[in-house]
Amino acid sequence: MTGAEQGAARTPNRRRRLSSRDNLVLMLLALPGIVWFLIFSYGPMAGLVVAFKSFNIRDGIFGSPWNGLANFRYFLTSGDAATIVFNTVFLNALFLGASLFAGLVLALMLNEIRGGLYRRFVQSVIFFPYFVSPIVISIMLQVILSGVGGRGGLLNDMLSVFDLPQVAWYTEPGAWPWILTIVKVWQLGGYTSVIFLAAITSISEEVYEAAAIDGASRWRMALSVTVPLLLPTFAVLVVLGVGRMFFGDFATIYAIVQDNGVLFPTTDVIDTYVFRSLRMIGDFGTTAAIGLFQSVVGFVFVTAAVLVQRRFQKENGIL
Amino acid sequence: MNAIEQESSVIKARAPASLGTLQHTRRAARRMPEAFQSISYLTVTIFGLFCLVPLWMIVSGSLTDESALGLNGYSLFPQPFSLRAYELLFTGPSLLNGYLASLFITVVGTVLSISCTTSLAWVIARRLPFISRPLTIFAYVPMLFNGGLVPFYLLVTQVLHLTNSWFAMILPLMLAPFLIFVTVSFFRQLPEEILDAARIDGAGELRIFFQIVLPLSKPILAVLALFYAVTYWNEWFTGLLFLSDPDRFPLQLILQNLISNVTNAASLPSSAGDAAAPVYQLRFAMTVLTVGPILLAYPFAQRFFVKGITLGATKG
Repeated sequence: MTGAEQGAARTPNRRRRLSSRDNLVLMLLALPGIVWFLIFSYGPMAGLVVAFKSFNIRDGIFGSPWNGLANFRYFLTSGDAATIVFNTVFLNALFLGASLFAGLVLALMLNEIRGGLYRRFVQSVIFFPYFVSPIVISIMLQVILSGVGGRGGLLNDMLSVFDLPQVAWYTEPGAWPWILTIVKVWQLGGYTSVIFLAAITSISEEVYEAAAIDGASRWRMALSVTVPLLLPTFAVLVVLGVGRMFFGDFATIYAIVQDNGVLFPTTDVIDTYVFRSLRMIGDFGTTAAIGLFQSVVGFVFVTAAVLVQRRFQKENGIL
Repeated sequence: MNAIEQESSVIKARAPASLGTLQHTRRAARRMPEAFQSISYLTVTIFGLFCLVPLWMIVSGSLTDESALGLNGYSLFPQPFSLRAYELLFTGPSLLNGYLASLFITVVGTVLSISCTTSLAWVIARRLPFISRPLTIFAYVPMLFNGGLVPFYLLVTQVLHLTNSWFAMILPLMLAPFLIFVTVSFFRQLPEEILDAARIDGAGELRIFFQIVLPLSKPILAVLALFYAVTYWNEWFTGLLFLSDPDRFPLQLILQNLISNVTNAASLPSSAGDAAAPVYQLRFAMTVLTVGPILLAYPFAQRFFVKGITLGATKG
């Protein structure tokens, strides 16, 4: 990492003693950010005590009576716990695998396209879905899966061309992990390919020249040169993704599934469950308990991921 | 500290360093396209269509007469062509209200976000003894651990009393730790000589930040503006939680309302009293008008975005 080294080399320069007035000015610059972090990041951490309380609005966060681990017990015995934890991990694994694979393949293929203008155009097009909001995605999905009045839709129109039976997709929980995965590929495929393309750029030209001299075809080069050299990037993305495994993609899933209970068995993740119980049942204690459970397990995952990633980068030194 | 450096190095590697300027490796090689190349062209083009067609279906649907939508289903081209939904939307008040809300949230939010992000990032980037390092950790911890939804909800509703205020959608999103660290690594690559020259000329810290650092940082400012603006424009979750007055709904929330309850669509153009409001056509038209600004800004924004990240990643 050249940037960091250079920065380190400059450090003595920057260590010049500052007057106390300069220090004060700099602290003032940082103040809005510090206050924001205290209120919006550290404040809610303190608010987690609600998880151990029988919360009511009148007594407030710190005045409500304690009830020990009752909230946790309630959640763990409710029978939903296993389902939503499984869904969270399973769906995230599917999303991660599919979007990384799509991104890798797209990057390899984009690298073969030579027409500068066409390539830039295609890249822009496949990158665009990243900027489309979940609600809009949800509306597009309805066009595809269900038509006006709840029947038909593009996919069913296509099925009927091949004389296949029509499917009421919004009542078929079994299909949804796959539908959501396709949505994720649509949303993130282009974005991920951009990351891989950036890594491809840093591969030295000489490697390819050597391969060309050995008579390798382009396909061979992609498979035996590019892919192995992209593995470290791939691994880091996997590790980062695994680190986020416990945090469902609330926005996309909730925007699509809404409150359609039929689909909960396969699509309900921790975040959507928490959101629903907060909004519909208003059970603050139990909901906070689930949130705390998620934060703690998530913390273990993320920290492990960061440690693995650091180790990985030391060994490879590529990223 | 090290973790942060690693993190920002990943960010750099992950950043689209070269959307426009990717080298064409081994361009010397062959004249005839190989099978793999042809397959690549084909696959990439198909994926491009896969990305575009759903958007196009919405546009087409918004221009198709409602009765035809019900009868023939959706089609690639509006048949019969109808502008009724747009007419209704432009004459009714909800669209204007929605745009006002979305614009307010996006503009005010982006300005606040950029100010706070750059000033905090600069203090971290200065490597001040006893200040920068604790601040780094302070901003990093929230990436690892958070309080979750319930304390956050109670904070906004019970402590800050922001229910039904647009600031309930602005303040929670104001700082993204990830972008703070991208900015820090950009600031650390600014040429030290210029800053030193300014110091010798007697410029104070504030002057250096506002008159030298910020003007040199236009690329990263563009990146921040793009990321924050898209986030605010697309935000709807905090609106779902904290806004209940439909007159204050931003566009995304109006759309959300149209999905969750089809009958809401009929009441959308409240000036039109007729029973047969084109519910689906309206929904699509509203979607087009919501994505529109992003779609229009995209070609320009993307250029800045690429430029900024390329500079951020290669300078120094």
